[in-house]
Amino acid sequence: MTHRRYQDIRIDLVYFGHLVDQDKLHRDTIQPMLQARSEDIQTLLEQSQYHLTTDSKDLIKGILSGKAAVFHENESYLVDVAGPPSRSVGQSETETVIVGPHDAFNEDAGVNLALLRKRIKSSHLKVVKLSVGEVTKTDVYLLYIKGLNHEPYVQEAVERIRKLETDSIFDTHMLIEYIDDSSTSIFPQFLTSERPDAAASKLVSGRIVGIVDGSPTVFSAPTSFFEFFSSSDDYYQRWILGTATRLLRYLAFAVTISFTALYVAVTTYHYEMIPESLLLTLAESRSRVPFPPVYEALVMEVMIELLREAGARLPTKIGQTIGIVGGIVIGQAAVQAGLTSNILIIAVASSAISSFVIPSYVMSASIRLIRFVLLILAGWWGLFGMFVGMSGIVIHLSGLTSLGSSYLTPLAPLKPRDWLDVFVRAPLTAIRQRPSQNKSPNPIKSKNRK
Amino acid sequence: MRTMKEALSYAHVVILIYMVQTGVTVFSLPQIEAQYFGTNGWLSVLFVFAAVSVNIFFMALVYRIGNGKSIFDLMEQVLPKWTLIPLYGFLIGVWSMIGLMIVKEYVLIFQMMAFPTTDPMLLKLVVDLLILYLVTKGIYNIGKAASVFFWLNVWMLFLLFFFFGDFDWSRMTTFVFQGGEDRKEGFIAIASAFLGYELCMLLFPYADRKTKIIRATLMGNGLLTFSYLTLSIVAFGFFSVQQLKEMMFPLLDLMAYIVLPFVERLENFFYGLFLFSIIVTSTVYLWAATETSKRLFPRIASKYLSFVLVAFQYAVSFLPDTLDEVKNWLELFGQIEIGIAIGLPLFVLILLIVHKATRRGN
Repeated sequence: MTHRRYQDIRIDLVYFGHLVDQDKLHRDTIQPMLQARSEDIQTLLEQSQYHLTTDSKDLIKGILSGKAAVFHENESYLVDVAGPPSRSVGQSETETVIVGPHDAFNEDAGVNLALLRKRIKSSHLKVVKLSVGEVTKTDVYLLYIKGLNHEPYVQEAVERIRKLETDSIFDTHMLIEYIDDSSTSIFPQFLTSERPDAAASKLVSGRIVGIVDGSPTVFSAPTSFFEFFSSSDDYYQRWILGTATRLLRYLAFAVTISFTALYVAVTTYHYEMIPESLLLTLAESRSRVPFPPVYEALVMEVMIELLREAGARLPTKIGQTIGIVGGIVIGQAAVQAGLTSNILIIAVASSAISSFVIPSYVMSASIRLIRFVLLILAGWWGLFGMFVGMSGIVIHLSGLTSLGSSYLTPLAPLKPRDWLDVFVRAPLTAIRQRPSQNKSPNPIKSKNRK
Repeated sequence: MRTMKEALSYAHVVILIYMVQTGVTVFSLPQIEAQYFGTNGWLSVLFVFAAVSVNIFFMALVYRIGNGKSIFDLMEQVLPKWTLIPLYGFLIGVWSMIGLMIVKEYVLIFQMMAFPTTDPMLLKLVVDLLILYLVTKGIYNIGKAASVFFWLNVWMLFLLFFFFGDFDWSRMTTFVFQGGEDRKEGFIAIASAFLGYELCMLLFPYADRKTKIIRATLMGNGLLTFSYLTLSIVAFGFFSVQQLKEMMFPLLDLMAYIVLPFVERLENFFYGLFLFSIIVTSTVYLWAATETSKRLFPRIASKYLSFVLVAFQYAVSFLPDTLDEVKNWLELFGQIEIGIAIGLPLFVLILLIVHKATRRGN
């Protein structure tokens, strides 16, 4: 902490050197004080950048968040000269798009707010500032567009954040786990994104967006299970391409959760389902494998997960090596050694590739884990086990809510009109209303017809 | 965390009623039609549809005269509660037994098809646990789950196009209802396949005006009739009447006929998909039993009541061992349930009329 005293004008200046912007500090505080005469000091302190602060707690909080405190006689002021280190606006690594804007949020909430304000130049865009964490005092900003947003959703979200009593919050995902409807569920109930264009579109559709200072991810709510399968670039391509991509993602979801489990179920209990021509190939490839299909599949799935986790943690250059080594070990050596059949490799690989097609990393990770449960159930009871597992998932999903609204909208409750922007991406002129889940007081989004 | 309550919507009720009505009987439906009605037995579905619609009409009267109140409230406003205890006990017994006996029949057929060495009671335990999990979530969430299960199931109807090439109208013959057995018995057997609509009476307090519960029930029943009718017509045009009489589960044989380039003998797969429908049917019956138990034990939480009911029926379901025994039990309970479906709305209607008359007298 830096303490400067200006004897002539009876001023004490206190600030954290590493939290302030040195240029701003010199320009707004130090320079004027050096030039000031003692009779001018009162006039100087009446300038707008000096905020009279009477509460010592506010003063401490201000200094800790990068402001400079000015003490003169019996009064104290705060000057906003904060400039903590932060990285510049870059591209998102987890949510890349081919067409469309490339900028992404960073760890500075101010920058993130600016990125959103830049896109939504409306006086109705409101921000509620909250503070979370007894120790970290992390700033949380809740954004919504007045007139487009269902007020009870904002009240509910504010209430949940205000009730939160914890010592620290470091990231949006941590906050979500505290405030979502069911923290024990494997499924994320708030959508997260690093992309300002996605967040802006959520705001315009009537949702709430939350920014946590120090996190490059923002959250939006309420959300539904199906929202995790749409991506910003669906809207930046022609609608047919957008629709095809979206359908592909649902197919990927089906493949991810069922492909390996189906292999295990069929090869363990239901051989009759395989046509004769394919049966010979399958029997041949499985003939050297000494384990039951479920163990074989579990070993391969765990291997793939190990590779994925190693690839994510290692620096990019070494990560490539891991990919090649893993590819050879899993792809060829395992089959040659008779540890696994090559058809299983195809099943496991397609299942893994499909999981990466799902745009949300958090959802994709949840689905990958569910795959293991279905796999084990298929090993126990074949197709019956698989369907038991699927029923369990559906029952669990039907009980989930996001900010109190059904997580399965628009399938249950049934809102066929919303399907135009959920299961397909209809032409923009056809999507005339905001999603019904958001209960927007002004549901009409576009009046253009073609 | 606080959640905002939703009311049952029209679509929810349509789907829920359709899913509750669809049961394991669908697999043997063409066989029942052929055995009891003979040629063009599929037409019998239409007669049952008409009878069920009349029955729903009586429920509509209960709904209209009772102002959409719960049937339990309506009964309790006329009769002292203790006199209703035997009726409640009877309803709890029948509904919980039907709900969970369906599961036993389903797992026994699955065991017969694919898992000859697995204990069917273990398979049943797993499904029962799922049902218990769903029933504790309440009727709104049961409705939501039913909607998802519906979409996972309903596409199977399109598979009927697969039989387009081998379908032959001449197998229908020009004769109607020739060579059948006891038609009255057949009518009851087919009516059992329609059961489930009567539970709409328990949904009254969970519906509002927008739900249009009676129209939704009729619509659900219409949807079921459409699916039963198309299935039966395809079965009658694909197999001969004589063949159908000999088969145990004609629908499974139909499914086994479907061959795709990379997969065949899909009956196990499709039969597995039917688990969704079984879960909904069974859950709603268990929910009905739980709702009734709540009248007897209002202080005990619903989830504990459901747990006790599931445990009780699980113990009882050890008794019938073979598929035939289970079928006999289900047949018996089906007949009792038909009696309830007809008798309960009539009973409540009489009470309502008595209530109105005494109020007018006062």
